[in-house]
Amino acid sequence: MARPTFLRSTLHALSWGAALALALPCAAAAVRTEHVEAELVAARTALVPGEPLTVALRLAIDKGWHTYWRNPGDSGLPTTLEWKLPGGVAAGPIEWPAPHLLPAGPLLNYGYENEVLHLVTLTTVPDFLSGREVKLAARADWLVCKETCIPEGADLTLTLPVANAADPDPRWGKPIAAAKAALPQPLAGWQAIADGHGATIALKLVPPAGAADPGEVRFFANVIDRIEPSAPQPLAREGNGYVLTLPVATTLNGAFGKLAGVVTAANGFGGDARAATIDVALNGTVTAAPRAGLPPPPTLNLAPAPASAEGLGLALAIVSALIGGILLNLMPCVFPVLSIKVLGFATHHDTKPTLHHEAIAFAGGVILTFVALGLLLSALRAAGEQLGWGFQLQSPSVVVALAILFFVLALNLSGVFEFGQLAPSSVAEWSSRNRMVDAFGSGVLAVVIASPCTAPFMGAALGFAMAGGIAMMLTVFVALGIGMALPYVLLAWFPNWRKRLPPPGPWLARFKQLLAFPLYATVIWLAWVLGAQRDNDAVLRLFAVLLGTGFALWAWRIVRGGGARPWGIAGFVALVGTVVVAWPLFTPDTEPARAANMTSPAAAGDWAPFTPARVADLTAAGRAVFIDFTAAWCVTCQVNKRLALNTDAVRADFAKRNVALVRADWTRRDPAITQALTALGRSGVPVYVLYRPGKAPLLLPEVLQQQTVLDALATL
Amino acid sequence: MRNSSFAVSFLAAALLAPAAAFAQSPGAAAPAFTLTDTAGNSVQLADYRGKYVVLEWTNPECPFVRKHYTSGNMQELQKEWGAREVVWLSINSTSTGSYEFKTPAQMAQWMQSQGAAQKATLIDGTSAAARSYAARATPHMFVIDPAGAVLYNGAIDDRRTSNPADAKVARNYVRAALTEAMAGKPVTVASTSPYGCSIKY
Repeated sequence: MARPTFLRSTLHALSWGAALALALPCAAAAVRTEHVEAELVAARTALVPGEPLTVALRLAIDKGWHTYWRNPGDSGLPTTLEWKLPGGVAAGPIEWPAPHLLPAGPLLNYGYENEVLHLVTLTTVPDFLSGREVKLAARADWLVCKETCIPEGADLTLTLPVANAADPDPRWGKPIAAAKAALPQPLAGWQAIADGHGATIALKLVPPAGAADPGEVRFFANVIDRIEPSAPQPLAREGNGYVLTLPVATTLNGAFGKLAGVVTAANGFGGDARAATIDVALNGTVTAAPRAGLPPPPTLNLAPAPASAEGLGLALAIVSALIGGILLNLMPCVFPVLSIKVLGFATHHDTKPTLHHEAIAFAGGVILTFVALGLLLSALRAAGEQLGWGFQLQSPSVVVALAILFFVLALNLSGVFEFGQLAPSSVAEWSSRNRMVDAFGSGVLAVVIASPCTAPFMGAALGFAMAGGIAMMLTVFVALGIGMALPYVLLAWFPNWRKRLPPPGPWLARFKQLLAFPLYATVIWLAWVLGAQRDNDAVLRLFAVLLGTGFALWAWRIVRGGGARPWGIAGFVALVGTVVVAWPLFTPDTEPARAANMTSPAAAGDWAPFTPARVADLTAAGRAVFIDFTAAWCVTCQVNKRLALNTDAVRADFAKRNVALVRADWTRRDPAITQALTALGRSGVPVYVLYRPGKAPLLLPEVLQQQTVLDALATL
Repeated sequence: MRNSSFAVSFLAAALLAPAAAFAQSPGAAAPAFTLTDTAGNSVQLADYRGKYVVLEWTNPECPFVRKHYTSGNMQELQKEWGAREVVWLSINSTSTGSYEFKTPAQMAQWMQSQGAAQKATLIDGTSAAARSYAARATPHMFVIDPAGAVLYNGAIDDRRTSNPADAKVARNYVRAALTEAMAGKPVTVASTSPYGCSIKY
């Protein structure tokens, strides 16, 4: 306590008055660096001579980044504080909060994420007098890392009034008190004994009678070169206590006489404490552990998932394919075609046999196209290509072709031209044979545009198909085709169902025009896919091609309608120009595959790009891992991302449970991803899998809902 | 079927593990590797049997690596020991899946811009070489003797900072190890903790 003198009291009173008048009991400026907001904060509103004052270096770290503990682990640097204090004020060392484990591949670092308060106790001589204010200054330096590491630092100041009484700081009093209470303390009632032998130390922890199981226990040595940071620390129950086996550091230098550090327990040490300090003599002598290689990257440790190919019998695969095929009609990429087909039924009131034949021709188109795709896929796979369902869209040429196709269909629905106008009039004469061809063509078209989508139930069936021989593959593809065509066939056979469709009328033309818009939207989406696969130039080129195509079709209509010949020439020129502009889009992309993670949505936000080694390392480190197998061309994937994965609730739950997020972007061919999909018994995207420490991995359905993801996370 | 292949790979890993176990302690044989340099040539450690070899784990994105290049420290070491027939190999083990991955051309360009003078810059995009050496950080240095045994494993020097000014005043462990070894003396400090950025496995 201060010895009051008249002068000092007066000065204190003055300083108090000044401080209160300014309503600024302390003044500190937070410094914002690239990834951290740093400031000095104090637990109390004033410095009281003779009384210790807790201040803190507060680091608010950007999401996903971290700074380091006093022992940074395998790499990194501890945060440092260098005080510049007036005479009479002294700063103690940083009182470090318990560290967190920060895995980096097979390596392990120790540090902090989000916000951390580095507490420091300031002591002041009792007769300290330095005017009405004291300026506390410190240089803080820290290394902040995510993938990249950035050394940052700031010169910080905190100006406090000097007074003979102080109140808790309204903003920082409570957080600092809480941080102080959470500091690791010596274990009350526990006994700790450290016995060294060779390259390991047995740390025996004997709990007081009746203490609960501490759960997973981890020891963090206060200094480097004592305990190997990334090595596992097995815990065994032994007699009346627990034995934690600590591997001595490979870099051990000099004497190791004392085991000092922090020990954490997942379930706590009884009471609230989850972290405690250990500072015991080390019995025996130890030697540096031999330096060994790190564990090899496991050949993607994707343990068989519940719905793996083996688990699915042929009959079940066929049923799944049938249901998947039916549901394919409802997938976003198929819906416009479904509408066109339904429209066809609504407009033609024909005799039953004609309708039946047409439905069969449609089904034939669907099934044969599926079979052709299946044959092509199996031939390519036999040739050693790592491909799966949706492989067509991994080729930018196919994406361009589809974009042109959708655009032409959309122009047709908008009424820019009629297909009949393009064909010589003799062919355009509507005959029943042509109707068959048209229906067959619709079937082919339906499958072509359905190919980016994987419907629920389809994934498992296709995975099964890919794993089996060619006969099995074709069986599953035929089943898919039957499933997809089934609704139309049923509509043709049961005219009563058709009666529910409204009768034709002026609405029909409008409805047809309206349907052009989903198709235009599809073109936009395909352009975006092309952008992800190639670049901006390719997108511009595609738009130029669409412009030319649109003009050529419009000019052709004028000519067919008896317009002037120059229009025909103009249309022809546009067509030739279009072909010239389009040509490079159909040549193989000679540029080296761009590091997909640099540009694609895969790298966005908290999601790390997929590599088998990354997943293996994360699971080996005991992290829960959620993998989103996706592709820009997969509409279902985009819908799921928006409605389920990117919602606040799901993101918050991912963060709360410390789930590592990995995105496998299959927009372009990627053999590693294809292999991972095969290992999961799938052959297409979307696939969502949650790796749970100590439990079997969980495959989520292809159509995600927020609750599905939350339920899956609740099983962690 | 898949289970059996998992069992086989597990068994293989278990059998291979002891062979690699003592590989990087000073005195032990340095693990063999075959990597491709930035010019596309295949480089094996065994090619340089009979010479001292320095392995420098590097990553241009790492400020601790840049500390030793902007200060000129690393280039100076490369020239100093290159002149004495020491084979200096810089290895970038950043995984191809990492944001920091550099193509051979990018690595070659960066090294050229720094005036680096190593024998070769090697690309280890699967991080396999880093794993077999348990390389932790960039920079992480190894000195290998003409018989292929590890002489030194650890930090480049004793100033564990990212400040370029420290590079010149620090005690350089690589220089010390090579000087002692070439004078026929035992290496005094043969093992330290590397400091820097973690290798991007």
